[in-house]
Amino acid sequence: MTGTKLISLERGQLWLMRVHAAGAALVILAAAAIGETVLADRFELPRGILLLPLLLPVLYFVLLAPGRRYRAWGYGMAEDELEVRRGVWTQIHTVVPLERIQHIDVAQGPLERAFGVCRLILHTAGTLHSQVLVPGLSRADAERMRDEIRGRIREEPA
Amino acid sequence: MSEEALAYRRLHPGSVVLRFLKEAPSTVLALPAGLAFVSQSGLWRALYWAALLGLVLLLINLLSWWRFRYGVGAGEIVIESGVLSRNRRSIPFGRIQDVDLERSFLARLFGLAKVRIETGAGGKDEGLLDSVSMAEAQRLRDAVRAARSENLLAPTEEAATPATPLLFAMDLPRVLLFGLFNFSLVYLAGLFAFLQAFENFLPFDIYDPARWMGLAEEYLPARFSAAAIAAILVLAILLGIVAGVLRTLSRDYGFSLRLEGERFRRERGLLTRSEVVIARRRIQLAQLTTGPVRRAFGWSGLSFQTLGAGTDRSGHQSAAPFATRSEVEAVLREAGPLRLPPPPELEPVSKRHIVRALGTSLFPALTAILLLSIWARPALMLLALLPLLGVWAALERRFHRFALDGDLLLVARGVWRQRLWIVPLKNVQAISLSRGFLQRRLGLASVALDTAGAPLLNVPRVIDLREAAAEALAAEIALRRLLHSGRKSGTER
Repeated sequence: MTGTKLISLERGQLWLMRVHAAGAALVILAAAAIGETVLADRFELPRGILLLPLLLPVLYFVLLAPGRRYRAWGYGMAEDELEVRRGVWTQIHTVVPLERIQHIDVAQGPLERAFGVCRLILHTAGTLHSQVLVPGLSRADAERMRDEIRGRIREEPA
Repeated sequence: MSEEALAYRRLHPGSVVLRFLKEAPSTVLALPAGLAFVSQSGLWRALYWAALLGLVLLLINLLSWWRFRYGVGAGEIVIESGVLSRNRRSIPFGRIQDVDLERSFLARLFGLAKVRIETGAGGKDEGLLDSVSMAEAQRLRDAVRAARSENLLAPTEEAATPATPLLFAMDLPRVLLFGLFNFSLVYLAGLFAFLQAFENFLPFDIYDPARWMGLAEEYLPARFSAAAIAAILVLAILLGIVAGVLRTLSRDYGFSLRLEGERFRRERGLLTRSEVVIARRRIQLAQLTTGPVRRAFGWSGLSFQTLGAGTDRSGHQSAAPFATRSEVEAVLREAGPLRLPPPPELEPVSKRHIVRALGTSLFPALTAILLLSIWARPALMLLALLPLLGVWAALERRFHRFALDGDLLLVARGVWRQRLWIVPLKNVQAISLSRGFLQRRLGLASVALDTAGAPLLNVPRVIDLREAAAEALAAEIALRRLLHSGRKSGTER
């Protein structure tokens, strides 16, 4: 909103998104395969009645969607506010005044650790964006941002 | 804190009886009644069980009353509870917002009050004393006030307490008039639920369709004559109006809002009197609600969104449910940097709002009609109603307006339920700009402001501005927010 160039996420996050999508796709395909077997047994429906229509959406979901979602993410820290942009279909651009942040988490799951990224979670007193998430940061970046924001919270007690 | 010096007290003994009376209908009577119904074991046996159960319940209540004690310490209120596992909770005075009182009809007969210690932590029943005598409630309140004003080093409150100017009050005719606008069919459902609960005692089965058919045939010469349907509709509407009036009367009878130093004090209720305090500096935003008819007569309702869980389920605290413009202005003047806009100053959103609104409503409506027409061909006639959606969308745009006025954002929205948000920019927690799929095709964007304690469905949003205008608005809000909240911290540094 302030016109500053937003920073994109680490490449590791793209791979993480792909792995997540692939995992979800496997679950969906497995469920469909089981459902199909049951249907084929019960009602003698032709094979592929579930899997074939699913194939295209799943391919999009695994091959294209993670890239688009990854490119939609962006963040930027100005002097006193943090901007986060995300969303492919509905694009949301959020501005959080740093002094409004109540507390900060830096979180990293096992998969994220493997790809060398972590999440910064900012908690505000609001309800619509009570948690503002910035995923796909390198550990060093996340900790640097956390310390910077922490300094500002201490500076201005609400 | 000095634990020995704490003078512990128990709740008023009457509260044991009170709680027993409150619980009795559901447990003592319902359980044996159910038992009797299931086992057909006779009235005396059921009564015997009821008496036994009542005795046990009374003993449990007595025990938990005995094990519940509280005390006012030097810097905190301590509440100890639990029959077997003890729980000691201390609430520091610094965290206490205020002490709210609620007096149900039964409690008023006993001269008791339920005391709720508000901390604004959002959790329910943080410090609930159910119930103490009125004198004791007053003592607690004074203790909290005294300790707080000491803590804050601000003796101003002491000076302000004796004079409590009445800001807003509703007399009986006003409450009744307000009730007319609170049309409610919910209470009809409530009546049915009540009937269902006491079904066993009714001489007929309410779920027996044959009986209803029989009734219908008895009373109606032709089963579905137009006159009969009209009569039923009129009856339902009348019942809805009566239910609305009764509900409003029980909730808002004797409504009064007073200013007490840094806080508002609200009292209301016919059978259950409640006394709630709204701290001025915890007010996040104000909201004005009205409807087409009320607006024509200049009536609207004012509520405040406060930090921490409000006692209203909506997250808003009603401050003046049915007031004229000048009355609303008078309350707002006392609530900090809030004011009403002069109506013509609000700007409409983009004209494409109509297209977008139509786009999102047309598709589901069309699908529903087509699906319905598979089942019943005449449903296709409903297609003739589709242009109404366009009229509605145009109306929606007409009533959706906004303005940035100094340190306030004003947003008006809603055709039937007209709402006006008055948001002090310094209370904005986050600003978000969003573009949906259809919005991007039309070059539109929405701006939403997040504030503390906002109910999810009641967030001030400016929907469908031109992209450039939306970006400019968001940037301007961010800038002004900084200007108006930065001033305070600037002087502190």
